[in-house]
Amino acid sequence: MSDDVRRWSDELARDPSSHVFLNLGEALRRQGQTAMALKVVLRGLERHPQLAPAHDLLARIAVDRGELERAFDEWDIVLRLSPDNAGARKGMGFLCFQQGRLAEAERHLSAAANGDPADASIASALAHVRDSLGAPPSVPQHEADAPRAGAPAAGGQDARTVFAGVIGEGYQTALLLDGDGLVLAGAYVAPDGRDVAQEVGAQLSGVSDEAQRAMRHLELGAWSSIVFETDAAIVAMAPAPRGGGLLLVAAARDTPLGFVRRLLGRVSDRARQWLEDGA
Amino acid sequence: MSSRSPFSEMLATLIRQRGVVGSMVVSESDGIVVDSNLQIGVKGTVVAALAASLYRKARLSASAAGLGEATFLQLEAERGRVFAIGRNDLVMVTVAETRANIGLIRVAMLRALEDGGLG
Repeated sequence: MSDDVRRWSDELARDPSSHVFLNLGEALRRQGQTAMALKVVLRGLERHPQLAPAHDLLARIAVDRGELERAFDEWDIVLRLSPDNAGARKGMGFLCFQQGRLAEAERHLSAAANGDPADASIASALAHVRDSLGAPPSVPQHEADAPRAGAPAAGGQDARTVFAGVIGEGYQTALLLDGDGLVLAGAYVAPDGRDVAQEVGAQLSGVSDEAQRAMRHLELGAWSSIVFETDAAIVAMAPAPRGGGLLLVAAARDTPLGFVRRLLGRVSDRARQWLEDGA
Repeated sequence: MSSRSPFSEMLATLIRQRGVVGSMVVSESDGIVVDSNLQIGVKGTVVAALAASLYRKARLSASAAGLGEATFLQLEAERGRVFAIGRNDLVMVTVAETRANIGLIRVAMLRALEDGGLG
């Protein structure tokens, strides 16, 4: 990848009007170098202000940086330049979905599905949104069922949107996993719009047990939280309120650590309440 | 105290932080201790294996979520904390009491990583 970045950088230096800035910006974004990616795409847009893919890339970079309003605005520009752009509709749909704005999410995802019927992630997200809204699913049932949270809805609320009211507007997400790493509640929408809750859950299965074992050997008492930082996010985990599971919160990389901890506390309270309501 | 290794100086710097009771460099894939600087009573080999495994899980879940590379991990418990940071299949692990200054340890570990402490 670094060879590609070098090659595209050289190409752009030779021909500043080249569209290769799109490849370069995307590669930098995927490497987590969002500040550099932003710089590249903004320079590209100075020369090509009407280029829809450049606005689309800028929107995705904005999502990575937790600048959701900016992302939404950029996708809005994409739609003005290219009204049938399924990628922009998909991005806006996932943003609304992540924020619990289900009616808007349904509208955008529905348009995205019409534009790109082969994209399974759109069909799946749309099925969940419609399910939450009480509308009949219009996608094949096996797709609608695939990434569904494992627990029954408590108090009539969709398990995927349990934390929507707690996590707020920024790039923040919350998940409740059971002891086997299966998703009980919440959703994990990655910066690129994919729902990766199941994958994240699978990778984290057993964390609670291992943390417990490590603490026992160190005689440090019960563990209360694990926080890890990545190139793009801060992820915080705590033992689930019951059943040996795990609670997980992720926020944009520039979110203060103290705030992430407070958010984890609020999500934990919400999970406890939801589990009690469903019991 | 360990014999001299490429990691000795880095581990000695970490153990001097307030509240730190041990620091280690561990192989992420198999949890084997590469070098350590531990106070008496700290069960290095067991902690190394578990900390490496925790760090690995965090790294893989970050990758699955498209969040890029995991950098710094911090585990909090009633009576202490464990910190981990990794690169090139090596994980630097620090065990500390609750009185330890998280911010200072975090900066020291990130700086050690930036300075090529893990290659």
